[in-house]
Amino acid sequence: MQNNLINIVLADDDEDDRLFFTEAFEELKIKSNVSTYNNGVLLMEYLNKTDSILPELLFLDLNMPKKSGIECLVDIKKNARLKDMVIAIYSTSASEEDIEKTFVLGANIYIKKPNDFKKLKKALSEVVTTNWQYQTDSLNKDNFLLRL
Amino acid sequence: MGITSTYNNHFLKIAFGLGLFVILCIGGFSYKHTQDLKDSMEMVKHTYEVNLELKNLLANLKNTETSEHGFIIINDSSFIDSYNSGRIKIAENLKRINVLTKDNPEQQRNLDSLNKAIGKRLFYLSETLQSYKLGQIRSPKFISSFKLGNLKMNSIREQVQTMITYEDKILEIRQVQNKKALERTPIILYSILILTLLLLLVAYAIINRDLKVLKENNEQLNIFKESANLSEIVSKHGSWTCNIDQDVYEFSDNFYRILGEEPQSFESNIENFMKFVHKDDVQKLTTQVENMLIEKNLPFIYYRVVRKNGEIRHLKAFGELYVNNEGENNLIGTTADITDEVNNFRLIEERNEELERNNKELSAFNYVASHDLQEPLRKIQTFISRLDEKEYEKLSDSGKLYMSRIKKAASRMRLLIDDLLQFSRTNKSDNITELTDINELIEAAKQENIEAIISKKAIIYNDEMPNMMVIPFQIKQLFINLIGNALKYSKDDIPPVINITYAKVHSLEDKNLPNLTHGYYHQICVIDNGIGFEQEFAEKIFTLFSRLHSRDEYSGTGIGLSICKKIMENHKGNITAEGKLNEGSIFKIYIPS
Repeated sequence: MQNNLINIVLADDDEDDRLFFTEAFEELKIKSNVSTYNNGVLLMEYLNKTDSILPELLFLDLNMPKKSGIECLVDIKKNARLKDMVIAIYSTSASEEDIEKTFVLGANIYIKKPNDFKKLKKALSEVVTTNWQYQTDSLNKDNFLLRL
Repeated sequence: MGITSTYNNHFLKIAFGLGLFVILCIGGFSYKHTQDLKDSMEMVKHTYEVNLELKNLLANLKNTETSEHGFIIINDSSFIDSYNSGRIKIAENLKRINVLTKDNPEQQRNLDSLNKAIGKRLFYLSETLQSYKLGQIRSPKFISSFKLGNLKMNSIREQVQTMITYEDKILEIRQVQNKKALERTPIILYSILILTLLLLLVAYAIINRDLKVLKENNEQLNIFKESANLSEIVSKHGSWTCNIDQDVYEFSDNFYRILGEEPQSFESNIENFMKFVHKDDVQKLTTQVENMLIEKNLPFIYYRVVRKNGEIRHLKAFGELYVNNEGENNLIGTTADITDEVNNFRLIEERNEELERNNKELSAFNYVASHDLQEPLRKIQTFISRLDEKEYEKLSDSGKLYMSRIKKAASRMRLLIDDLLQFSRTNKSDNITELTDINELIEAAKQENIEAIISKKAIIYNDEMPNMMVIPFQIKQLFINLIGNALKYSKDDIPPVINITYAKVHSLEDKNLPNLTHGYYHQICVIDNGIGFEQEFAEKIFTLFSRLHSRDEYSGTGIGLSICKKIMENHKGNITAEGKLNEGSIFKIYIPS
């Protein structure tokens, strides 16, 4: 069964958000392995280990201490081993500026943190069930921001 | 002015030339006149001479005759001497008369016959003398010679008289001629004199008039100079001239004042001036002045001077070459005191910096509002949704009531934050207008309101809109808000009908455009059949946070229409509202065409 588990990583400094995130996956009953990191530095430390298991999906909060989500995104895209990871931006803000920037830097999707747990579950399930191999080819700015 | 003065100059030259000519004429005429007078005198003298000589001739002839008679009677040899000298005198007389009448053929003819007659008379005289000497005193030959000689003498007298008469006649004719000429001359002279006088008078009048003009011009020049002085004081600039060839400088009064000195209180030269220049600018200015003297041109230069009281003034100078009538190179320059400008510029710069700081703070605030403020709220809402989902059944009835109230309050707070953010986003001034398809924006606004449209069974009609120069996302927001309002404030019993109409209006024709002078405007009306409002509130509804209804009746933050107003301000347009309670409302927006 181990092979069917989806490896999901979340980097978010907010304790509550990490809680919502893991609870949502629990309730979604998706066979997943969710691990969370408190900030960008810890995340990059993990990813840069040569023996680390690369997640199928990486959720990145933008506003984090020490190393922001944008900085992580830049580093990941520079790294040949990591650059093909599917990256979902997971942020409170949905400013045009942030959306534009992360899109240009190569993130796959932008999720504005919902204010309703049901909507959160819906958003996460949509992201997880998307076939990213196919989706990546038709990536465009209009469907970059996930609409709920 | 220029044309008349050159015209006058020409006239004066001509008048002067004419005057000179006339004076020469007068001289000529006068000379001729005197010459004529002299000629006439000569003529008289000539006639008298001829007559005198003729009379002398006659007298000598008589003398000769008398001498011979005396000799015959007394037989004294002294008579013979007198007789002989008489004959010589007669010959001389004839010779002189010949010379005098050489130019007159008539007199020459007369003289010729006179000559012959005298010859004859002398012949008879010598015949009688000869007869006497031979002693044939009473001989017939002697007597006939004596009588013939006497007769000849009479004809000689007549001939001399003829010549004298002729000479007198010529004199008379010439005198008449001369008299006429002499009478004409003064009149000609006098008229010429009068003409000259007239010319001189005209020239005088013209010179006088020119002098008057010159005086007036001088006056004007003085006034201009004074006003230039005043304007120098008002506009805080001074002027200077520099004669490059002679290295002579002149500073205007206000130039001294700019330096904080009394006008003309020191000698105007470059050394004295340099004493005032700020020590950091001396090097720069010296180089530029040297260049100025070589290039004969001074481009804009900026420097500082220090007044004696220590005050620093910022100056700007500019000069250009002017070649005067003598061909000397002069630089004419202006120096302006731009201290106030510099200070104002600094002040503006400071204000700008302050404004920039404020803007940064504002955007920081925006970030706080968009991110930090939303985050706790989002979590509260998520926790509420968790509670609602998992623990709702465990709550008592009042707990359930509180729960729903908390939910409402939280979602209202979200609405407020979202609207405020929207409002502050429309503040941004760096949005650029672009030619936009308004129909697309209306369509997008309908899509945003699609849930309400469906649930209320609303019908929206809209005219075909032309493309307009707008900030697209703002106009889209405007339509979202206006359509949203029309849907929200609809009547419960009938489905809402919204008409969006288009017209092109001129600012002079539409009373809603009193202060807008752009000319033509696009007018778009959003007309609904909703609950409307009383016209007295038509202005109030656009102010921030103002609401006409309690939150229980209609949700809302009182920000939506403020956003609309701000958007129209950004477009240099206008938005107005007309309402009738329970009948509907009309929102008119105006976009510059």
